[in-house]
Amino acid sequence: MTARRRVAITGIGLVTPAGLDVASTWARVKAAKGCGGPITLFDASGFSTRIAAEVKGFDSLPPIDDRKLLKYASRAHRFALAAADQAITDAGIRPTQQDAARWGCVVGAGMMTIAHAEIAAIQKAAAPDGEFQANGILEEPVANDVVAFSRSLSTAGISLLLRRFGIRGYASSVHTACASGGQAVGTALRLIRRGVADRVLAGGFDSMISPVGLSGFCLLSAVSPDNDNPERASRPFDLTRNGFLLGEGAGFLVLEEWNSAVQRGATIYAELAGDGNSLSSYRITDSHPSGDGPIQAMRRAIADAGAEQSDIDYLNAHGTSTPMNDRSECAAVNVVFEGRAKEVGVSSTKSVMGHLIAAAGAVEAGICALAIRDGLMPPNANLQQLDPDCDVNIVRDVPRAGRIGMALSNSLGFGGSNSCLAFRNPEETAALIAAGR
Amino acid sequence: MEMSRIVITGNSAICAAGLDPTAIVDTLTAGRSMIGPIAGWDTEKWPTSLAAEVSDYNGGKLLGDRKLLKLVRRSDVFGIYAGTQAIEQAGLPAYTETLDEATAAEYADQTGCYVGSGGGAFEVSYDFFPLMAESGDSLATFGKELSNTVNPMWLLRSLPNNVLCHVSIRNQLKGPNGCITNHTTSGILSVIESAWALREGDAQRVVAIAHDAPIEPQTLLYLDQVGLVSKDVLRPFDSRHDGCVLGEGAAALMLETEASAKQRGASILGEYLGGGDASEGEGIFCIRADGDGLSRAIELALADAGLQASEVGMIVAHGNGTEQSDASETAALLRVFGKDMPPVTANKWSIGHLFASSGLVDIVIGLEAARRGVVPGVANLEQLAASCAGLNITKQNRETRSDVVLVLCRGFAGTNAAVLLRAAR
Repeated sequence: MTARRRVAITGIGLVTPAGLDVASTWARVKAAKGCGGPITLFDASGFSTRIAAEVKGFDSLPPIDDRKLLKYASRAHRFALAAADQAITDAGIRPTQQDAARWGCVVGAGMMTIAHAEIAAIQKAAAPDGEFQANGILEEPVANDVVAFSRSLSTAGISLLLRRFGIRGYASSVHTACASGGQAVGTALRLIRRGVADRVLAGGFDSMISPVGLSGFCLLSAVSPDNDNPERASRPFDLTRNGFLLGEGAGFLVLEEWNSAVQRGATIYAELAGDGNSLSSYRITDSHPSGDGPIQAMRRAIADAGAEQSDIDYLNAHGTSTPMNDRSECAAVNVVFEGRAKEVGVSSTKSVMGHLIAAAGAVEAGICALAIRDGLMPPNANLQQLDPDCDVNIVRDVPRAGRIGMALSNSLGFGGSNSCLAFRNPEETAALIAAGR
Repeated sequence: MEMSRIVITGNSAICAAGLDPTAIVDTLTAGRSMIGPIAGWDTEKWPTSLAAEVSDYNGGKLLGDRKLLKLVRRSDVFGIYAGTQAIEQAGLPAYTETLDEATAAEYADQTGCYVGSGGGAFEVSYDFFPLMAESGDSLATFGKELSNTVNPMWLLRSLPNNVLCHVSIRNQLKGPNGCITNHTTSGILSVIESAWALREGDAQRVVAIAHDAPIEPQTLLYLDQVGLVSKDVLRPFDSRHDGCVLGEGAAALMLETEASAKQRGASILGEYLGGGDASEGEGIFCIRADGDGLSRAIELALADAGLQASEVGMIVAHGNGTEQSDASETAALLRVFGKDMPPVTANKWSIGHLFASSGLVDIVIGLEAARRGVVPGVANLEQLAASCAGLNITKQNRETRSDVVLVLCRGFAGTNAAVLLRAAR
């Protein structure tokens, strides 16, 4: 049996509420400065929650410079195109005619693809009194606009990425709610290991900061109602936490087979070393108080990386700031790390930029790679009073310096899908390879 | 990598042609089309009034759980039904009941689920129409009246990963999982990912499910605008082919390692041999005329299975009845198989295009047909289109050339996938 193919992270792209690129996002994450604010994308004044973490000042035209392509792109697709462009540029490699079939693309795609103005146009024409009459849409312009149709398709995002970068290999979009981004990156890792692809553009994109998107979370009381204090609304692990802060954006990685990355002299942020995946099979929205589900995902990621729990220095938690998630996730951390949970630094990127839903796992994978590169655990913002039920070693307020050998990133979704990714410091990977492992 | 055999122990489907694989293949081999008038809305003024709907739909009965009906949509009902059928056919619930708690927990951790999901893209937002009618152009009123008008469980009913969630809760599946939302190739990708989870040793058993219910007014109108809808029926590869017709339904396969199947004494229906996926990436509605993506997907599947093209015994083509797809699919098959093409069939002429579930429904039908040694004919084929010359397809049922089945699937965004199976007889 030949040695298993390893996977290098050689490119990162981020478009988030914390910044429009990697440098600005990483700076704000390190500064632990919350991105919540009043919603400006639409009039949210009547909603129980009127705050979110919006991507501000974003213009997709300069980076993409293709008006025709952008016509087919929704807000979330534009984030995706820009973040993917950053990642490809950062990696310094892109598909060519010769190797395009050996490039794959896997994305965590947001569930809401239709702009509110389009929903409203259909309603006015076909349901003026609230009840839908099919004949009402026959002459309605939006219902006859094939460009609107193409944006609405579940493959709209991946289609734009495949075309933009000329990718011809394995292509898949996944959606397991808040676990989507993590599962997409994990699938991409596996494609390279299997030999199905040599390089994969992997990431996630989402924007649910729209009337219908926000409604879904308000109806479930899942979002924080702290309208008067938006910067502190997301406070994972704090005793007073009361829901998550809705964010939006995209994160993309370029993943490469390790040896080919080394041979071309690429800068390697980290090894994407393991993917763990499990189902909670408990309730749709609730996590099991014992941490059952996330426990298996974390253990599988560690085992998949050929590591032990004692190798892990940092955990980028799912940490949504909902009362239930954080408690259950911390229970899982204490089980997985047995007696040494206190030695593992824990923080939630959502404390700064809110919850990017289908993009969250991919963005947080990028944050883990940056943390390893800089030897710096990013802080958890907004923690004033630690919930005694969240008995883990939180990296509070300021970054914690120190070499990170291995890191984990959790993404736990509605519907019970749990994803955990494991990352390894490239120096350690080089040492393992030198030792014949 | 060590590759243990991956066997199939459960096989289920629901579509316009029936509630199980036997009934569906009976319908196809009898040459019956299930395309008929759309019952969902009055189509008198519509460009087309035909689809292949699941008739006498009774969600509560299909789920066996009326309460669950409030938490899911029509597409999910099909998926949960198909998943449950395949799991029961494989004898999983009966077996796990005999296990002690610790062994059952370990068994659950080793059982995964991958779902290809589609369905209800537009109607999901229609639930907000009463609220929007009430609030007019005022979003402030929309926000204020929200909780008085909209079902509090709206988001949960709308999740694309509902089937994964409910099937796993119902059957205590805790292993590797995924929900693939890649439009038409979703179902076939769910099978490919399931097989890899077994090959990589991450699970011992995986149920692969795919579901969709795309017969919505807005979808139909758009497809017509794009020029993909037939004026009447779907005639794959025929000189009169003029577009596709929508269908709906779901399918599921229970895949497992040979050791896991033997442990339960499960009947083996067939074997998964390999899969491949390739994209053309030229745009959302673009297809290359030379069949490049599809031929690469087939070659990848053959290589993955370690098979020669000559060993394939029958092909279930995508055959969506649009001129561009039929012609480029023929080009791809000629590129791979040349003059030595095994018998080809396609199912959409009878059951319509099931989008996200079409690939998995075709797998289930192909497996059942090959177990009988029959390649169902395409009953409405009169004259092969000139652009499809050389395709080995007939109106009549024929014998399979071997027990190996190749199933093809193509979708928007230039995505193509292929899977190879061996049918047990």
